[in-house]
Amino acid sequence: MNEIKQIEGHLFNQAAVDDALLFDAMLILDRDMSYKVTLQKKVYQLVRQYGRKKLKAEVESVHQQLFSEARHKTFRQKIMRLFINPR
Amino acid sequence: MAAFNFLNNTLAKREQLFISLYKIAFPAVAKYVDKMGGSFDEAKDIFQDALVIYYEKGVGSAIELHTNEQAYLLGIAKHLWSKRFRESIQQVPIGAYSDVAGFIEDEDREPSPAKLMHYLETAGQRCMELLRAFYYDKLPVNTIAGLFGYSGVHSASVQKYKCIEKVREIVKEKSLAYEDFIE
Repeated sequence: MNEIKQIEGHLFNQAAVDDALLFDAMLILDRDMSYKVTLQKKVYQLVRQYGRKKLKAEVESVHQQLFSEARHKTFRQKIMRLFINPR
Repeated sequence: MAAFNFLNNTLAKREQLFISLYKIAFPAVAKYVDKMGGSFDEAKDIFQDALVIYYEKGVGSAIELHTNEQAYLLGIAKHLWSKRFRESIQQVPIGAYSDVAGFIEDEDREPSPAKLMHYLETAGQRCMELLRAFYYDKLPVNTIAGLFGYSGVHSASVQKYKCIEKVREIVKEKSLAYEDFIE
């Protein structure tokens, strides 16, 4: 777990100066470590991709509510009128 | 609109936020897209991307994001429209550009294999939800502990690192299966 934490500190530039220097040295000496860093970087990318995908689904569900439920009828009409009128 | 606290956002609160933002800003965005000759679906796509940009900018902060959400979202939408059609427009506020640039860069990046994402969404769902709360929604650790039922901030943090390790293992296994996935 410490290793995960260390790599996170390195990737997010959160490590103290001494620790950062030590980690940089370790990266040079330990090729396995640099592979782990690459993998962990991918994890954060995947988390963002996942988060964004889920958020977009939430936004889409709001859109569906607004464009189908009776209580949002006035809003819906206001929008639809824009696209019906000939330009 | 009522202040939205990004440090205490849950699914239900986000839904409320998006409904408010739709009502406040979608009419102006739709009007703009219509004026530019776009369709309802194009207005919808652009507005939804603008909402994601708005959200990603707001996470991790406690204060109300913008005093004028409508102007902000319209500015973002105009910029997204111009990106889409490679036209240059002048009337977009400078501040909006940087948020849009980062978003488009992420969207353009080679997506991870759909199979891997699907696997994470199913087999790794609990971990992905926890990691989302930490790194995407940027919630404070005590809020996360409460939401996920951990006894305290320490066990939530421990679980976070375990989850990173678990997902990292999955990425490693899958990267051997799908070539040129790790750049």
